[in-house]
Amino acid sequence: MQNKWHSLVGVTLLVGGATGAWAAPSTIHIALTAPITGDYAEYGNNFKHSVELAIEEINGKGGALGKKFELSVGDSKGDPKESAILAQKWTSDSTILAEIGDFTSTCCMASQPIYNRAGVIQLSPTASHTKFASGSKWSFSAYGTQYWEQPVMASLAVDKLKLKTAAILYINNDWGVDTQKFFKENFEKRGGKILAEESYFSGETDFNAVLTKLKGAKPDALFIATMYNDGALISKQREKMGWNLPVIGSSALYSPQLIQLGGTAVNGVYSNVSFFAKDPDPRIQSFVKTFETRYGNSPNFAAALAYDCVYLLAEAVKRANAMDRSAVRDALAATKDFKGLAGSITFTQDRDAIKSYKPVQVVNGDFQLVK
Amino acid sequence: MFLQQLINGLAQGSLFALIAISFSLVWGLLRMVNFAMGEVYMLGAYAGWLVVMYATPNLGVALVAGFVIGWIVGWFIEKVAFKAMRGVPHIASLVCTIGFSFFLKELASALFRAETKSMPSYYSDTAFTFAEANISYLQIIMVVIAVVMMVLLQILFYRTKIGLAVRAVALDYRTASLMGMKVDRVTSLAFSLSGALAGFVGVLAATYYNAVNASMGFVAGLKGFTAAVFGGITSIPGAILGGYLLGAIENLSVKYMSSGYRDLVSYFILITFLLFRPNGILGKKAKL
Repeated sequence: MQNKWHSLVGVTLLVGGATGAWAAPSTIHIALTAPITGDYAEYGNNFKHSVELAIEEINGKGGALGKKFELSVGDSKGDPKESAILAQKWTSDSTILAEIGDFTSTCCMASQPIYNRAGVIQLSPTASHTKFASGSKWSFSAYGTQYWEQPVMASLAVDKLKLKTAAILYINNDWGVDTQKFFKENFEKRGGKILAEESYFSGETDFNAVLTKLKGAKPDALFIATMYNDGALISKQREKMGWNLPVIGSSALYSPQLIQLGGTAVNGVYSNVSFFAKDPDPRIQSFVKTFETRYGNSPNFAAALAYDCVYLLAEAVKRANAMDRSAVRDALAATKDFKGLAGSITFTQDRDAIKSYKPVQVVNGDFQLVK
Repeated sequence: MFLQQLINGLAQGSLFALIAISFSLVWGLLRMVNFAMGEVYMLGAYAGWLVVMYATPNLGVALVAGFVIGWIVGWFIEKVAFKAMRGVPHIASLVCTIGFSFFLKELASALFRAETKSMPSYYSDTAFTFAEANISYLQIIMVVIAVVMMVLLQILFYRTKIGLAVRAVALDYRTASLMGMKVDRVTSLAFSLSGALAGFVGVLAATYYNAVNASMGFVAGLKGFTAAVFGGITSIPGAILGGYLLGAIENLSVKYMSSGYRDLVSYFILITFLLFRPNGILGKKAKL
């Protein structure tokens, strides 16, 4: 009897959360899910800081539809379980219009069914897995997928650097597998050859064994589908082994922390950007300056994308001219040529952003555009 | 490349072996596992990193700092999780150490922010090259440290009065206390020593991998425990053997299988030994 009672309450809560009676809220309440602590903390804090900055700016100009933005922040720690718990929390709060986050594709995909069921916008600044945004009509990615990013890196490797063979080291999660797959596909399409592929699990610190194995294949280049922290660690251990060769990575390596952690070992590493902090564009420069003076470090691509997400939502609310979740979703999906800090955004049918990427390289401890 | 993988394995094995000894010290004494050992190792690594970054670039001082912090944390865990819970079922202490494990990890992320810190390299130059395999000074130093530690502990336990006391308490702490021995002090000492060892290895690992972060202890602790079970948790030479074997097997499994199978192999060993030979390769019932 008691069990029955419990499940009844559960169902009522769920239904209540899902339908979400809208009692004319006085603010535009959005939620941010980000890895504020944990291995991806740098990205998470970049999210938080730039979202706060964007909201402050928009509110300073009077908000949208005469209403101010209000923010709730949750720490997912980069853990898909935590991300899903936060999704439950946000979706059961009927005042929340939309969610921005999470950082990793894995976390986004773990919480996707919850947003989908509740009918809440899930706008991820950085999820780049090809199956993320297409997985639910409520999910959006402002990042563009590896499908668009990797041809740029493969072309850099084959056409510009004239590299014929490569070995791949990737992190074994949704994102890593996707990145590895699209790099390989595009590299081989251009006539390159992948000699060896190895993966590792999140939290690994010893890359000596796997690097030794990859070195044995004698490739021209090493492609690493990793985040900046692992990228720095891999580079340091590679340098110690005395294995010098061109290293190519994804946009996830573009972070000042890569250089801080990796030191001289990351010199020469290739990455790519859709947002470049040294871009002379006055809008980008003013953002970078405000961010740096306030938080003491320069913003990375995650910061720029999260900033863009707030403006994307603000614009969608204005165009929808309503505070209704589904009207805003439709307006967001219709976004066309939105001019963001990290390039322009047009959503595809699958709610993925089409973007352009510029290759960069670490030269003497600093990122520079590859000319 | 076989030789290079073996050398990588031995260097990593030294780290496993030293953590395994920490587990054996506690097990030998109390028949208990301190699951916060990995976090003591992590705090030791932070202590070493702080010394190197803010005080002196001397690695020796950093290792001592790791040892001291490990000693203090080990001592504290014993006071809370074991001494205060003596007499209640063992499971309470066990769960308490798991609680400590999470507590210390979150504490470190709160104190030092969660991102990975970079530890400078020491002695990373190649000492000599043998059949295409490079051996660095640090790798040699790590193996030497592990072996020296083992010898020192053997001497401590089998040739000194303190060692005799520890072994007596391990054998039967009630009788030992009836004989007038200060059981609490002996337990506390062994616990602190095991913590100090873990903290010390933390600094060594941080130097070897050039990285310190709050979550580095979890896997290290589990691998150290696996090495201890593998070699024989009741014996210090067993723990050392387990550490080296595990290191070698892991690295060779990367060579012959794929790196994705590395942890699979380790935990397969853990489960198999727990099931079929819980005393490990060298362990006997109630030695030490």
